[in-house]
Order: sequence, then C-alpha cells, then structure tokens
Amino acid sequence: MASPKRGAKTRDAGRPHKSKKLPKVSTGIAGLDLVLGGGLPTGRVTLLSGGPGSGKTIMGLQFLLRGARVDQAGILVMFEERGTAVRQNAWSRGWNLARLEEENKLYLMDARLDPQAILSGEFSINALLAILDQRIKAMRAKLIVIDAVDTLLNLYDSPKRERLELYALHEWLLNRKLTTIMTNKIVSQEEGPSRYPFLDFMADCVIHVDQRVTNQIATRRLRVIKYRGSGYGRNEYPFIIDKNGINVAPITSNVLEHRPPGPKISSGDAKLDEILAGGYKCGTSILIAGTAGSGKTTMACVFTRAACLRGERVLYLNFEESPQAMISNMLSPGLALQPLINKGTLLIRSYLPEAMGVEEHLLHALKDLDGFRPQHIAVDAISACKRMGSDQAAFEYLMRLLNACKERGITCIFVSQTSGLDIAQDISGIGISSLIDTVVLLRRLPIDGVIVRELIVMKTRGSKHSEQPHEFRITDSGIDLVKT
Amino acid sequence: MMKARKRGKHKSAKPKSETYIFRLFVAGNEPNSSQARGNLARLCEERIKGLYKIETVDVLQDPTAAHENKVLVTPTLILIKPQPKVTVLGNLSDTKQVIAALRLTSTR
Repeated sequence: MASPKRGAKTRDAGRPHKSKKLPKVSTGIAGLDLVLGGGLPTGRVTLLSGGPGSGKTIMGLQFLLRGARVDQAGILVMFEERGTAVRQNAWSRGWNLARLEEENKLYLMDARLDPQAILSGEFSINALLAILDQRIKAMRAKLIVIDAVDTLLNLYDSPKRERLELYALHEWLLNRKLTTIMTNKIVSQEEGPSRYPFLDFMADCVIHVDQRVTNQIATRRLRVIKYRGSGYGRNEYPFIIDKNGINVAPITSNVLEHRPPGPKISSGDAKLDEILAGGYKCGTSILIAGTAGSGKTTMACVFTRAACLRGERVLYLNFEESPQAMISNMLSPGLALQPLINKGTLLIRSYLPEAMGVEEHLLHALKDLDGFRPQHIAVDAISACKRMGSDQAAFEYLMRLLNACKERGITCIFVSQTSGLDIAQDISGIGISSLIDTVVLLRRLPIDGVIVRELIVMKTRGSKHSEQPHEFRITDSGIDLVKT
Repeated sequence: MMKARKRGKHKSAKPKSETYIFRLFVAGNEPNSSQARGNLARLCEERIKGLYKIETVDVLQDPTAAHENKVLVTPTLILIKPQPKVTVLGNLSDTKQVIAALRLTSTR
C-alpha cells in the first residue's frame, strides 16, 4: 500500500538534473578550486569580503594571472591602490604584470578619484564604464576584479543611491558576461555584517576571508558563505600567503584512508636492523625518544642518509636548528648530508615552532609532501611542537601530519626529547603514542663514571623485535651497536 | 617661476579679456549630464557672459578622451583656464559651491 505512494514521493522530490553543470573558472588557487567544486561561476559576480590585509587583492591577482596564462584576458579596477604599487607588490612575488599588460592579457585600471575634486550633486560612473567597455572590446576580456567595491559605494551619499548604482554595475557586468570578483572590506574580525549587506544578496558566490589571533598566533581562514547553483565545501579552510601567493589547505578527509604498511626497509644500521627483525616498516611511524644528547638526531639522520643514498626522498622538518647547523653537526658522526641535498633526495626545512600557527605549519608541510613527494619524513623534534601554541596544538599538528603521511604511504620518523624521569609518561605526553608503530628509546646512563648510551626497542606493531637494551656508541662513521 | 610669470601676465592683460575654458564630460543624455549642462550654461550666462567657452565631451562617444583626462564619473566639469585647474563632479546642483569652486566672481 505504501510502496507506490513512496515511489511517487521520491519522484516528486526529484533530484535536480545533473546534466547541466554550472560552468566555472579556476581561481588560480588549487585548494580554493577544490572548495568551490571547480572555481568561480562563469559570467557571474563573486563577492570576496574580508578585513584589511586578509589577502583579497592577492586572491584577485592570482585569479587574473591564471586567466592570463590560459589566454583569458582580465582587468583589475583599482579604486584604492596605485598601479605602480600593485605592480611592485606583484613583482616581489615574481609576477610580472607589466609583461602581461604588454601582451594585452591584463589591464590595470587606475580608478582612484582625484581627492581634490569637488563634489556637487549626483553623478554616475558611466565614464569609467565607457573606458572599461573600450578596453574589454580591445582585449576581449573575460575576467574582471573590482578592488574594492565598498570604496566605490562610499562615493554615494545615500543608501538608496548605493544600491541603485550597485545594481546598475551588476547588470553591466552580467551583460558583458564577465566573470567578476568584487572585493569588499569588512572591519569585524568575525564575519560580521558587511557595511553593504545587499552585496551578499546580489552576488552569486560569497567568500569570506579573515585573520584571527589565538594564543598570539595569527591564522588566516576562508569560508564560502554561498554559491548559487553549486555545491561547495562548507567548512572554514585555513590558508597561508607566501611568496607564491595564496595556498588553501586541501580538505582533510574525514575517512581514514591509510595505506597498509609496506615492506621492511633498513634503519640505516645493520645491527639495528637485526634488533628490529629486518628494519623499519615502510609507511609506518617510528618514534625515536630519548634524553638530551642521547643521539636522537644522529639516529634519525642515520636512517635519512641511508634512505637518500638508496635514492629515496626524505623531507626533514627541523624545529630545533637551522639546516646549516644540522648539516655541520652531523659531520661529527660522519653523516654527510650536503651531498644528499645537492642530489635532490634530501630536503631540510627549519621552522621556528612559535613563528606560525598549527595550520600554517601544516600547510608548509603539506606543500612539501605534494611538491617534493618524499617517501619518508623526519620531524625533529615533536617535543618542540608544543611551542606552536599548546599541547593541543602539537597534538593537532602531529595528528594531521601523520594522517597526511599515512594516506600517502610515507614513513614518519618522529624525534622526541624526554625529560628522563618517566619515559613512558613522556612518550605518551603529546598523546600520539597510539598512532606510533615503533618506539626506539635512547638513554644516557652513567655507569662507573662513564656515560653509556643504551637503545631499547619498546614496541613494533606487527613485527618481532628484541626487547633487550643494547649499548651503542656514536662514532665518526654513524652509530655502533654493541650486542649485550 | 611659473607663479611670477602668471602674475606678470595678469597685471599686463586686462582681467576682462581673460576667458574661462570649461571641459564638461557627459554620458549621452543621462539626467545628471543634462542637468549639469543646463546648470553650467545658466551660471556662465549669469556670471561671465561672453567670457567663456564650454567644450562638451560625450564619454560614450569618446572614452579615450575620458581616459586621458582621468575622468571616471559623469558629469565631470574641468576648469581648464584660468589656472589652477579645478575638477567638479556631479550635476552642479549646488550653485553656491560651484560658483566658489570655479571662482565665478561676477564681472558686473
């Protein structure tokens, strides 16, 4: 009885036809395209709102640069900045706007009103539009960025005029089938109401960017508020602005898609391989924990060097010393790293943990995971990650980094400094011990007035190992394990 | 130096013979542009009759001229002569303000 009714109902509810997909234009920012399901709506207006310094103009420029690369000419209408300033700022990122202007792929329209001009009665921006029309025809422009629309609206003296002029501009843009970004300054940190709320209603796609400070560390985030006729990622996405422009964090999958561990690979030392019953497992996570001066970095570098010499790529994230210091320090145990860097198999990145927030650190790491494509990474030391803000910050960073590595089948070597009082407590202190497959513990023990180094393998998941403590020395050619 | 020369010129030439040159940028027959045309013509006739010249530029016909003169809004009135140059935006509805801005002191 219920079944035919049900059938009818589902048909009524009818899913929208998937046949006509909304055409989109890439933003020039890969991560943002992912969030937007491909890019901005072609021939329509996108509103990009954010506080000062939140990256709106850079985002607009990246959009135009990408267009220029695929022969879609674009125009930047500047109501605030001078063309020379924009060109200079772009140049510092390696973007040669002047060349694109010469090639007729980009046009910078200085639209700042003469501050000396006297206002007397109503006016419209018809002259600007007439000039733009001429340029659009000459260049066959497809893209336009209006930076910033609030400055334009500010010229009008009544809310009614503001709205009328905006609608007129909107019509004008639609008639010319321009894919448009309008930037809009909003003051509040939280994405509070804009000065011109009707902007949000008019635009087909609305993106908010902001910059927030927590624990004295600033993080940039963006969120898509609406997107007519298209699905989009609804979360807040952290992003960074670096030399190359904007990087949006790829969407972190909420499903665990970890790859199974691979074959065993050498730890870099034959005797340690014996203890580990063949070495580390490829694609797993290894924690090298120990007190200060117990040889943790050396142990990590023994593995790094061996892997690099096999032709595998290793990304070494150092939170404690500069690449130069590390390279020079490792010469003492005979581990030459510079040749590996020259060969392109080793990439050392040094970061000050407190310099950035978790998201920014993650973005830098993810960029290298996808750019450099390492088979293994080393993090030295995870104990320093607490300085990214808090224990929670360190946990989030390591957890997400580990996840990203496991999805890519990358081996993780985590170096951690323990205080030496309660090693088991220290190791689980950051809360990731359950994610660690192998724990190698290093200790420095004074025995009869001599410092003796000891290594104990505390756990290896899915593998046999020796549980004995093993004495070892740091020689001028790596480490030397003595069987006890 | 410029100033000195100008002052000299001012002294030698009779102020009466000095003409006002205006350039008025309009956008076709949009209401604000028509109003500005009317307002400017009326003010000139009242105040500087016979001493002025108005060049009207339709930005819809000649966007290049608008661009060269950095004109973004219509109507825009530029007082070209006498120096210094003055730019007034809008339909020129505020008569007092326009008179002051353009230095249209009555010739009597």
